[in-house]
Amino acid sequence: MKQRLFPKLLFLLIACACFSAFTMAQAVVTGRVTDESSGEALPSVNITVKGTTKGSVSDASGNYSISLNTGESVLIFSFTGYTAKEVDVAGRTQVDVSLLSVAASLSEVVVIGYGTQQKKDVTGAVASVKGSEVQNLPVSGVTQALQGRTAGVNVVRSGGSPGNAGSIRIRGTGTINNADPLVIIDGVPAGGLNSVNPNDIASIEILKDASASAIYGTRAANGVVIVTTKRGNFEQPSAISLNAYTGFSNALKTLDMLDAATLVELKRERYTNDGLPVNEVWNNADNAVQRTNWQDELFGTGKVNNVDMAISGGGSKSSYMISGGYYDEKGLITNSFFRRLSVRVNSDHKIGKRLKIGESIQLTNSKDNSLNTLSAQDGIIWSAIRFMPFIPVKNADGTWGTSKASNEYGDINNPVFTAHNTDASNVNNRILGNLNAELEIAKGLKLKANFGLDANHYTGKNFSAVVTDQTRTTNNNSLSRNFSESYSLLGEYFLSYNKRFADLHRVDFVGGYTAQTFNGDWFSAAKRDFINEAFNQRFLDVGQTLSSIGGNRSYDALSSWFGRVNYDFDGKYLLTATFRADGSSKFAEGNKWGYFPAFSAGWRISEEKFFDNAGFINELKLTGGWGQLGNQNVGGLQYLALISGGGRYSFNDNTVVGSTQSRLPNYNISWETAEMTNIGLNIEVLKRTLQANLNYFIKTTRDMLLSPPTIGTVGTLGIPDQNVGILRNQGLEIDLTYRNSAGDFNYSFSGNASFIKNKVIKLYDGNYIGSVLYGRPLEEIARTYEGSPIAVFYGWKTDGLYQTQEDVDKDPNITNDPRRTAGLISPGDVRFLDLNNDGMIDENDRTILGSPHPKVVYGFNADFEYKGIDLSLFILGSGGLSIFNADRMQGLDPTYSFNMYAEVADRWTGPNTSNTVPRMTTRRDNRNYRTSDMFIEKGDFLRLKNIVLGYTLPAGLTERAGISKLRVYVTGQNVFTFTKYSGLDPELGYSDGNKQINVDIAQYPQSRSWTFGVNVTF
Amino acid sequence: MKNRIIITAIFALLTISFNSCKKGFLNSPPYGQSTSADFWRNADDAIAASNALYSFLGDEYLFAHTEQTWDICSDDQWRAGDHPEDQAIEEFTYEPSNVQLNDSWSRKYEVISRANAVLINVPGIDMDQTLKNRILGEAYFVRGLIYWQFYKIYGQVPVITEADVINNDFNKPKASLDSMHKRIEEDFLKAADLLQLQNDAANIGRATKGSAWGYLTKFYVYLENWPKAIEYGNNVITGPYALAPSFGDNFTPATKNNPEMLFSIQCTEGWTENVTSIYSAPRPWGGWGFNEPIKDLEDEFEENDPRLTYTMGKIGDVIDIGGSSGPTEVYPGLTNTGYFFRKYVSWRPDGGLDNNMNIPLLRAADVYLLVAEAKIRSSQNGDAEINAVRSRNGLADVENATMTELMHERRVELAGENERHQDLMRWDRAGIIDLPAHYAIDRGPWKPGRTFVVPKNYLFPLPQRQIDLSNGTLVQNPDFD
Repeated sequence: MKQRLFPKLLFLLIACACFSAFTMAQAVVTGRVTDESSGEALPSVNITVKGTTKGSVSDASGNYSISLNTGESVLIFSFTGYTAKEVDVAGRTQVDVSLLSVAASLSEVVVIGYGTQQKKDVTGAVASVKGSEVQNLPVSGVTQALQGRTAGVNVVRSGGSPGNAGSIRIRGTGTINNADPLVIIDGVPAGGLNSVNPNDIASIEILKDASASAIYGTRAANGVVIVTTKRGNFEQPSAISLNAYTGFSNALKTLDMLDAATLVELKRERYTNDGLPVNEVWNNADNAVQRTNWQDELFGTGKVNNVDMAISGGGSKSSYMISGGYYDEKGLITNSFFRRLSVRVNSDHKIGKRLKIGESIQLTNSKDNSLNTLSAQDGIIWSAIRFMPFIPVKNADGTWGTSKASNEYGDINNPVFTAHNTDASNVNNRILGNLNAELEIAKGLKLKANFGLDANHYTGKNFSAVVTDQTRTTNNNSLSRNFSESYSLLGEYFLSYNKRFADLHRVDFVGGYTAQTFNGDWFSAAKRDFINEAFNQRFLDVGQTLSSIGGNRSYDALSSWFGRVNYDFDGKYLLTATFRADGSSKFAEGNKWGYFPAFSAGWRISEEKFFDNAGFINELKLTGGWGQLGNQNVGGLQYLALISGGGRYSFNDNTVVGSTQSRLPNYNISWETAEMTNIGLNIEVLKRTLQANLNYFIKTTRDMLLSPPTIGTVGTLGIPDQNVGILRNQGLEIDLTYRNSAGDFNYSFSGNASFIKNKVIKLYDGNYIGSVLYGRPLEEIARTYEGSPIAVFYGWKTDGLYQTQEDVDKDPNITNDPRRTAGLISPGDVRFLDLNNDGMIDENDRTILGSPHPKVVYGFNADFEYKGIDLSLFILGSGGLSIFNADRMQGLDPTYSFNMYAEVADRWTGPNTSNTVPRMTTRRDNRNYRTSDMFIEKGDFLRLKNIVLGYTLPAGLTERAGISKLRVYVTGQNVFTFTKYSGLDPELGYSDGNKQINVDIAQYPQSRSWTFGVNVTF
Repeated sequence: MKNRIIITAIFALLTISFNSCKKGFLNSPPYGQSTSADFWRNADDAIAASNALYSFLGDEYLFAHTEQTWDICSDDQWRAGDHPEDQAIEEFTYEPSNVQLNDSWSRKYEVISRANAVLINVPGIDMDQTLKNRILGEAYFVRGLIYWQFYKIYGQVPVITEADVINNDFNKPKASLDSMHKRIEEDFLKAADLLQLQNDAANIGRATKGSAWGYLTKFYVYLENWPKAIEYGNNVITGPYALAPSFGDNFTPATKNNPEMLFSIQCTEGWTENVTSIYSAPRPWGGWGFNEPIKDLEDEFEENDPRLTYTMGKIGDVIDIGGSSGPTEVYPGLTNTGYFFRKYVSWRPDGGLDNNMNIPLLRAADVYLLVAEAKIRSSQNGDAEINAVRSRNGLADVENATMTELMHERRVELAGENERHQDLMRWDRAGIIDLPAHYAIDRGPWKPGRTFVVPKNYLFPLPQRQIDLSNGTLVQNPDFD
C-alpha cells in the first residue's frame, strides 16, 4: 500500500504551491492535462473550481478551458485512477498540469510483491500492462486481453467457447505439469482472473524472473500476475463513468467438406476399388442430394453485450470506488454462453495520523455452459464436420434428422439437435475481498496486516433428455445437480522499514509471515426417470429413481515466512535479496518445506559521472539476477494410497457398490524447483520517447512434477504425480515503445517479441513421456523426449504416394514388408520411409517430426489520436512453429463412416492424379492415416487481433448535457489473419495438459466480432 | 496513542490465534476416503473389495465389447458396426497398433490389481472364515479368469501377483508359457477349493465352485489333459448346475440366473448398463449393429432346431421391440447380413433395450460339450453329454459321436459366445481340421476367403503402446516385430 504515500507527498507540494494565492477578476484559463509518467494527453479530466460547482472537462487532446470569477483561484483536477491535484492559477492564463496515476504510475512505480518500487530501482524482470490496454475489448476476461501485450507472456487457449479463459504462460512452458502463473488480485492469491471485470483493473504487473517473484516462493515458479483494481482518491469530487458496448460475432472460418453427390461417389469408389459390392445405401439417389452444411447450421451468430458503471471519489479521511458490471456473451453455437454480473467496492480510510485501513470487495455471479466441443469421439464440432450432408437438420415431419438408418452414416448424433437438446449450466457466486491495515510505528517503520477471502459457491446442472431417434440413444432421462463451496482464507503480517543514511545509502526491508488455507466441500445428487420432460419439471423432486448421491470435502494449506532487502547506493548501484520458506500440505511429513532464495543487482550507468556526455541517452540500466522458485501446483494427498468407492454391480439384481484403490501412492512426492538467471538492459533515449527493454533468461526446472502415462500392468487406477525430470527454457525478450506527438496529433507504437527455446534436459526414468491418444484411431501424436522440446510430434515420415504398381514393387522402403508381398499395398497408398533400413515399415520407423513451439511470439500496438478521434490497432502473431492437424488426419480417412474433407475430391485415382490425398478404400492395410508428417503444417500466423476507432465529442457540446466526456467507438476483434494453416484456427492451445500442444482436434474456433460502444463520464 | 496500543494488541492477538489454531495446520486429512492403511478393517470392507472384482468386467472395453471382438475372426459372423480397426482383426492383417489391443490391456490388469489387493489384505482381517474363504476364492477366480483371457489372446503376458504389488514391480517381461499355465491352473484350483457350491439369493452371480470347475475343464481341454478335463467337468455335471429347461431361458431377463449359468456379468436396469446389448442390437432398433451372424451360421443349424430362433434374428422374424412399435418384422436392410445375435438383446415393453439382460460368460452346456470332447479325443464315448445338450431342444440323439458331431454341436449351441474362433484354432493345432484352408473358403460377401498364417495368427500382437512404455522390457510376439 505504499502508493498511498504519493497522495501525501503531492498534497505537501500543492500546499506549498498554494501559498501565493491571490484574487483577480473574471478570466479564462486554458491548458493541457497530461499523464505525469507517460506525458500522454489525458482526456476527460474533471476540472472544478474549488468552492463552487463550476467545472469543465479536458478534451481528447487533454486541453481544457475554464473561466474564473473574481476570488476564484484554485482548480481541482481529478480523474478516475489518478491522484487529484489542486493548482492555484495565481493569475496565469495558461496552466498545464500533469497527473499521477494512483494505482501504479506505470513508468515510475511498479507493484511488486508486498510493496511497490520506483521503476528506476527495479532489478528484476517486471512487465506492466495498463488497465486501459485491456478495457472494453469484447472478451469475457482479462486473460485473453493480455495476449501479446508484453514480451514473454503468452496466452494459450483450448478453444473459443464463451468464457473459456485460456492459460497464461510466462517465459515459455516452465513445466510439463500445470504451468499457470500465480495470480494475486489486490493482495489475495486467488485463481479466477476472469471473474474480475476488466474495466475495474488499474494495472497488471507480471513478475517474470526469480528475483522479482521469489517473495512468493512456493507458487511463483511459473511467474506471478499481480492485478490491482482501481481505487478512489482522497479529496476527489465524485465522478461517474459509464461504459457500454454491444456486438455480434461470426465464425472465422468453416472447413470445406464434400457435398452429398461427391461423397456418395467416393463412398461407392471405396467399395469398387476394393472389389467389394457397394453397400446398398450408396445406390440410393436421395443420398446424393445436398441438404445441409452442418458447420453453417451449427455456427450461428454470437452476441456480446456489456454495460458497467463506476462511481469514485473521496473526502479528506475516506475515498471510495464502487462499480457494477454486466457482461453477456452468447457463443456461435446454440446453448453456449457466458454471463457475469459483478460488483466491486474498494475504499480507503485514514484513522488518526498513523493508521490506514483499506478494503476491496468483489462480488460476482457468473453463469456459463460449455458444450462438449473437445472430444474427437462425439464432440459437437467434430460431429458437425463429419455428419452426412444429405441428412436434413429436420425432416419434413418436424423430427430431427438422424443417422440411425445405417451403419454407413456414422455413429454420430445430429449436432444441431445435440446443441438444442443440451440443458446444462454452471453458476458461480464468488466473493473475493481483502481488508488491510497499515500502522506507522515509527518513522519509516510500518506494521501491515492483510486478510483475504476468496469464496466461491458453485451450482451445476445437467439434464439429459430421452433420445430415441438418434444413433446414440439415451434410454432414461436424468438430472444431475452439483453443489460445491470453496473458500480460501489468507492472513499475513509483515513489517516494512525504509531508511536513508548519509544521503547515499537507502535500505528497504519487508518481511513477515503469511498463511493461507484452501477448503472445499461438495455435494451432488442425480435422479432419473422423469415422466415429464417439460422445462418446469426438470427438478430433482420429479425424478422417480435416485441414481447417485455423494459429497466430500478437502483441505489444503500453505504457511510461509518471507523477507526482502533492497539496498541502493547513490541511486546508481542497486541490490535486492529475497528469501522465502514455504510449507505445503500437499506433501508428506519430511517433504513439506521448501526454501527459496533469490538475489539481483542493478547498475544505473546513466547516473555515472562519465556518462554525462552521452546526451541522447536518458536512461541506461543493466540488471542481473538469480533465484530459485517452487511449484507445488499438483493434487493433494498423493503420498497416500487412497481407497474409494463407487464401482457399481448387482447380484441377481441386488445392487451393490465396490471399493478399490483409486490411485497409486507416491511417498516421495516433493517440490518442483525452478532456478532462473536473468540479465536485463533498460534504455531510454530521445527525451525518453523511445524506450527499450531487453531481457535474457535461463530457467531450469528441476524435479518437474507430472503424472506420466504408465504401463498398463498397473491397471487403470490413477497415477500420482512424480518428480520426473529437468526442463530448461531460455530466451530473449524485447519490448520497444515509441511515443510522440506533432501538434494535436499524438501517436505511439509499441512492439514486443520473445524468442524462447525449450528443452528437456533429463527424464529420470530415461524413457519418454507419452500423451493422450487421439480420437477414434487412438493415434499417438506427441511425446516428450530427453534432449528435445516438450511435446514434440512423433510418428512416421512420408514421401508422397505410390503412383504405379512398379513404384510399389521397387520401393526399397518395403522390400521385405509382408504387406507388400501379400499385395496389401497399392498405388495410391502413402509411401512411408523406412528409417531403420530393414526393408519394412513398422513401429521402429517412427521419429520426431516437428516441434509445436513457436520460435518467436510477437505483439504490435499502434495508437493514434487527433482532435478527439482515436484509432488503435493491435496485431499479434507467432512464427516458426508446427501444428499437427489431427482433424485432417481423420478427415481424409475414407475408412470411417463419416463425411470427408473437400480436398478428398482430388484424391489419387490413377498415376499422377495426386501425390497428397491417398486412394479411396475401406481397408487400412497401409495405415495411410497414421501419425505422419503428412499432417504437419506450418502454424505461423499474423492476426489483426483488435482494431478500435473512437470519437470523443467536443467537451463544449456535451457539457450542456452535464456530461464531461462522451466517446463512441467501434471495435473489431480477430479482424483478419494471415496464415497458411488450413485448419479452423492457428491459435491453438493444449489438448492434454502440456503433454500435447498445437494439435488441432477441431476445437471451438474463435470468432470475428464487431462491437459498438460508448464511454460516458459525468 | 491509546488507539495505537489497542490496535497493536488486536494484531498481536490475531496473529497468535491464526497460528496456534491447530498444530496440524499443514496436514491435509483424506476426508471421506480411506487409505490402504486404514481400510481392510472388517468383513464389510472385504465384501466391498470383492464387489469391485466384478464391477469392471462389464466395461465396454472389456468383456462387454472388446473381448467379443476377437471372435469376428471366426466363420460365424461379420464384424459389422463402424470400427474400421475391426477389419484388420477379421482379416488377420492386424498390427500391434490396432486400437482394440490397447483398449482392453490395462483394463484386464485393473481387474488383476483388484484381485491382488484382496489376496494381500483380506487374509489378515478378523472375520467369519466361511465368508473370508468365499471372498478369497472370488479373487482367485477373477484373477484366473483374466489370465485365462490373456492367455487365449496373447499367449504370454507379464504375470503380476501379490508379491509384485508389494514390491511395486510392474514393468515385468512376459511370463513363460509354463508360468502362464501354472498361474491359471493354481488360481482356478484355489478358487474351486474356497468358493461355495451355490450362493444365497442375494449373492447369485458371484463365482461358485461350478464357475471355477467349468473354467478348469476348459483349461484342461485346451491343454489336452483329458482325465482332468473329465474330472472337473463331471464335478459340474453332477453338481447343482442343471441345464435350464429351455435353451432360451439363458437369454431371457426373467430366467437369467438359472443354475446352468455358471458365470455371467450381471446387469440391472438403471444401475448398470448392458453394453453388449447395445452393440448387438440393430441400429434402427436402438443398438449399434455390431457382430452380425452370416448365412453360413444359419445353415449350420438342423431343421427345427429351436436354438436358431433364440440365437439370431433373421429376415421375416417378428420380434416385439416394445413401445409404439410392438411386434415388428425383421426387414431386409435392418442389418447388413440380414441377421443379428438375438441372444444378447431383449426389448423393454415400453421400448428401448432391456438392461436387465446379463452377459453370459460360461454355461454348463459348454462344459457338457467339453467333457464330451475330452471323452471323444481320449477314445471314450461322449454321447451322453452331447445328447443332454441336444435333448432339451427336442433333437434326436446322436450315437457314437465323433469330433464331427461334437464340432457341429458346439458351433450351434455356443454361437456368438466367443468360443468359435478359439475352438477352431484349438482343433487346428491338434490336426483335427485345417484352419488356413477352412478360413480360405469364400462364404459370401460378408466372409470372403481370408489368409490365416500358422502360427502367426494363433496369437494377437502385444499392444505397441505397452511395448513402447515398457522401455524394452516387453518383447513383441513372434512374427509381429
